[in-house]
Amino acid sequence: MGKKYKEVFLKNTWYENPVFVLVLGICSTLAVTNNLKNTLIMTIGVMLVTGFSNLTVSLLKNLIPSKVRMMTQVLIISFYVIIVDIILRAYLPDVSKALGPYVGLIITNCIIMGRAEAFAQSNDPIISFWDGITSGLGYMIVLVAIAFFRELLGFGTIFGYRVMPENFVNWTIMIMPPSAFFMLAIFIWIVKGFKKEGAK
Amino acid sequence: MKEKKLYTIIFTFVVSFVFVLILSYINFLTYDKIVENQKFSKISAVLNSMGIEYKDEKDALEIFNSTVKEIELGGLKFYVSTVNGEKVYAYVFSGNGLWGTINGVICVNENVDRIIGIDIISHNETPGLGGRIEENWFKNQFKNEKIKGEIKLVNTQELGDKDKDNSSVDAITGATLTSKFFIQIVNNSLAEIRKALRGE
Repeated sequence: MGKKYKEVFLKNTWYENPVFVLVLGICSTLAVTNNLKNTLIMTIGVMLVTGFSNLTVSLLKNLIPSKVRMMTQVLIISFYVIIVDIILRAYLPDVSKALGPYVGLIITNCIIMGRAEAFAQSNDPIISFWDGITSGLGYMIVLVAIAFFRELLGFGTIFGYRVMPENFVNWTIMIMPPSAFFMLAIFIWIVKGFKKEGAK
Repeated sequence: MKEKKLYTIIFTFVVSFVFVLILSYINFLTYDKIVENQKFSKISAVLNSMGIEYKDEKDALEIFNSTVKEIELGGLKFYVSTVNGEKVYAYVFSGNGLWGTINGVICVNENVDRIIGIDIISHNETPGLGGRIEENWFKNQFKNEKIKGEIKLVNTQELGDKDKDNSSVDAITGATLTSKFFIQIVNNSLAEIRKALRGE
């Protein structure tokens, strides 16, 4: 039993990582990675939504008619995203303000629907929940790593605290969308290099 | 086959009904808190634009209730207070940004020849790019800025335009359009305020 959980964990965070292997969720990877705090909160949102929507889909899987399967999944996903949005607005208004439309856009993250369709439809609830959480974690690792370098070089800060010396000239390109493409590509390049080493 | 169709319809209906019901209940539970947050963000924006300092939410509410008055002048709603012996007028503005409505507060002196300050209540600009209109270096540029005709955008080498007499503010790098739209909103609001306060 424990072995299966470990397998799912390794698969979702490394061997079949949703971002750098399956290349899913790229839109938000490019858009919300220039500020660590926003990135972290958004990815925690994705993690929870993926976990709970997987759990719910798995619980309902025998009841859902196949014709409206996708529609039901979208309904469940949006249900959890709206809950995340409401909680942020009620208890973390500043973050909700900073993330703006990106919370609502979690709905369109293909990782969530991908996991619901590929895993939760054919597995038990608990392991589906675990699969969702670990997929979200795999996504979070990549985004946080990219955001770390973008914020460090673009603003000279980490989580808003200045770490670079005063005379450091900010690389404005790092805050702008193009740098996300470069950073993601470099990230995938390095990771693929590691994977090849491992395969030998 | 007919039964299956009926089941699909009933299932879809029931599932939607249940999820929406839960959502509306959660919304109902947090509604007061969200309204309170929105009210507070407006009050704090008014105080910030006037340059009045406060410690926390309660403190802000007290200061607001005791020193700020709501009046109507020339068809516009103003929040009026006296800061450092000078009468200041705060006006809640709303206008189009690049992606959505920007709501904020602009505060001017009685002659409408100086901006006392500016604050943002809500916006939908890209986090890290246009979203930087919320950052202090950008907002502080408007503090005590002289109004000579229209406020203009300039590009300075450093972060923010320090000259308070040139009626200019530094645009945000990577967010030229948001900066332009924002300045337009500011100028439109100033024109309206001038009309209301000085009848020009």
